[in-house]
Amino acid sequence: MSHLHIPDGILPIWLVSAGWLICIVIVTVAVRGVPPEDLRRRIPLVGAVAALMLVAMSSEIVPIAYHINLTVVAGILLGPWLSVPTALVVVTVLAMIGHGGVTVIGLNTIVISSEMVLGWALFSALVRTLGRPRVRIAAGVATVLTLAVTTTMLVVIVALGGPIAASRESGAFDPAELRFENPFAEGVIGNIAFEEPAAHEEEPLQIARFALLVYGLGSIGWIAEALVTAGIVGFVSRVRPSLVLDGATQQERVLPGDEGVHG
Amino acid sequence: MDIRRVDISATQGESALHRCRPGIKLVAFALTLSAVIVSVNLLVVVGLALCLIGVMAAMRLPARPMLALAAYPGLFAALFAFAAAADRLTGALVVAKAVTAGLAAVLLMFTTPYPQVFAPVQRFLPPVIGDALLMTYRSLFLLLEKFGHVLIAARLRAGLLAGSPIRSAKAATRSLGTVLLYSIDLSQRTYDVMHLRGYDGRLVVSPQPAVAPMAEVALLAAAGVVVVTAGLWRLTGSALAPFAWIPLGIGLVALIVGTVAGLLTAKETR
Repeated sequence: MSHLHIPDGILPIWLVSAGWLICIVIVTVAVRGVPPEDLRRRIPLVGAVAALMLVAMSSEIVPIAYHINLTVVAGILLGPWLSVPTALVVVTVLAMIGHGGVTVIGLNTIVISSEMVLGWALFSALVRTLGRPRVRIAAGVATVLTLAVTTTMLVVIVALGGPIAASRESGAFDPAELRFENPFAEGVIGNIAFEEPAAHEEEPLQIARFALLVYGLGSIGWIAEALVTAGIVGFVSRVRPSLVLDGATQQERVLPGDEGVHG
Repeated sequence: MDIRRVDISATQGESALHRCRPGIKLVAFALTLSAVIVSVNLLVVVGLALCLIGVMAAMRLPARPMLALAAYPGLFAALFAFAAAADRLTGALVVAKAVTAGLAAVLLMFTTPYPQVFAPVQRFLPPVIGDALLMTYRSLFLLLEKFGHVLIAARLRAGLLAGSPIRSAKAATRSLGTVLLYSIDLSQRTYDVMHLRGYDGRLVVSPQPAVAPMAEVALLAAAGVVVVTAGLWRLTGSALAPFAWIPLGIGLVALIVGTVAGLLTAKETR
């Protein structure tokens, strides 16, 4: 539940536009936060970590249709600046295979990049507090806290959108009974002349019901994600500890002959 | 989501949609998406979805994975609709919109190789985003293959069966950790290769030449009709609501015609 699985045309235009605007601003700021030479070197890393997240997302936990996101792991590896463009890349690819709306790419980028940046910040703070031997606990706790915050962001975004921006025009449908009335029953002409579309009063958004569902289902996902994140971080910290403690951006070597350009 | 299946269809397919230029398909996709966005009538949206399935059948595209991918957002939309929609009709509309937009997206992705989808927009994006989109594509298939191999090896070593989900989950987590290490090494090797080949901060994708101008015109015209129809129903509001069965009927006809055309083509091919 960490990103919006809301289709296109449901959220109001002002909210979608604001999402795109904020997305452009944070991506621009994040990209400018990395020196240009470093940024060029990091493009394959951004691609590889985005691909890793997509690989993890392609493994579903079937009964609840939940998939692992690895956003906190990616945040730990990439740090705050590179997390933002990576989030945009992942969300764009997902939208193109129908996983989340195209128009909500901006809002989804905000949510996912917040998850990556917050995950990185909490993990770093917890490792400093708990000590390096407890990276698993730090990763698990950081993941649960991060997902709780971003799920709240999701609820706030939906609440800001207000009642679903879709009218209740029904044509031959009876919205109360969800029953299709045969338009030929009294002749098409009669239908046109006499049948008025059902009038509907604007009902308030059922935000409490939505929040209950998202927190209820989401909390199962938080635990699953936290266990996987803790497992992966624990595994990597045994094999290559600097990767989780310093980040992947500190791992790259400089090729002979490349020092002049990137040194 | 089986991303490999998407790539095989996009690169090896030979339908009229495959022959259209990616830029044209992107415009048609944008128009179709606009139609979904502006539509507020369930029957209009369902009619559009049936038309898209009809195109899928006529082009003999792999229906099962495409429908499965398009239905996936419908599942989440149903949860959202259940929780937030004021009535069942609105809920049904939310689900129909999600599935129809998903169908339009998978039609694009199953008929266009991934790099070609992003090539037209790449020049407008910052290099880190445009190039990273292409690098993601390259890395994705390598990592998927690696993950599959590592997972099989882990299961064989541990003698895991389907009846031991916790041990399987642990093996899957360790496998993801291994793939993570591999992905970091892969990114370094990729940069080395790019550097040796003279990478200057911008990857270039060769544009696909126009080989089916008539198909492109037909595609754009159809997308234009779709968006005009949806816009008409939106703008006229209640006046056209009683006629909403017409787009639904057109959708049904398109589905039948598309299925028959697909079957006939299959027969001729044999």
